[in-house]
Amino acid sequence: MSVEVGTSVGDLTVRMTRAQLVRYAGASTDFNPIHWSDRAAAALGLEGVIAHGMLTMGTALRVVTDWAGDPAAVRSYSARFTRPVVVPDDDTGVEVRCVGTVSAVSDDTVTVSVEVTCGGKKVLGAVTAEVARPAAGR
Amino acid sequence: MTCPTSVRVARARLVLAPAPPLNGVVPISPDHVGRTYPPTAPYTVSVAKIAELAAALQDPNPAYAGETPIAPPTFAAVLGAAAWDALFADPDLDLALRRVVHADQAFTWYRPLRTGDTVTGVLTVDKVRCRGAMEIVGVTVRIGTLDGDPVVDSSSTFIHTRETA
Repeated sequence: MSVEVGTSVGDLTVRMTRAQLVRYAGASTDFNPIHWSDRAAAALGLEGVIAHGMLTMGTALRVVTDWAGDPAAVRSYSARFTRPVVVPDDDTGVEVRCVGTVSAVSDDTVTVSVEVTCGGKKVLGAVTAEVARPAAGR
Repeated sequence: MTCPTSVRVARARLVLAPAPPLNGVVPISPDHVGRTYPPTAPYTVSVAKIAELAAALQDPNPAYAGETPIAPPTFAAVLGAAAWDALFADPDLDLALRRVVHADQAFTWYRPLRTGDTVTGVLTVDKVRCRGAMEIVGVTVRIGTLDGDPVVDSSSTFIHTRETA
């Protein structure tokens, strides 16, 4: 399969719940209370507890690593946290959707852009990963 | 939903002067750009921690399983968090983690982190902008081996909202 600008990389939807945030806090060692305490979130003017930006960003990278096969091929990855993902204190949580598309191709690198939305609204901006070929050049 | 960043910008405009220093501490300012901290305690990447992070990311990639897995790329955040501790413990800056929202993030990898790697992180303050009670701080954590070989650079911008009386 050839890789060119516009090639679809993947479409992944992941559910985030409070339980998932607690799990990510422990795994990442990011214990900022805005990710588990409504009181701390409100003190910063947030609507409620928000997902770790790194949880959303790490989830979005799955689109790239699932496609590339080898996660070691990822050379760079960047994003802006433009809109917080508010996670309600219920069993349902929220769904985050990640849609990846090839945005540039060079001899040794494939650049993938990922659109990340929650409830139809973009939550991350300028989500870009560079992946070394040939892992990405299948 | 309103973006909280714009809420804080609006609020910051109402505050004409930075918050008065508490206990005589002058908070973080552009003067702190370039400040760097000693390396974090050596950290050895384990099979268990890789599995824990992969589970938290709900990521079943087989590269993160088995006897000698590699770490998910964003495992760098674990080392980043350890390096951030020095920043929040620095009495000169008077920063509180609970007042922080992550604004952007960039990683550059030289190679993947692997099971058994022992690495440290060195944090440098890259950028400080003060807007009333709001401080925009950019830092880079260079994660490397004890021999000094770089593994991954993690650059973050965060927004710290200072508590006003």
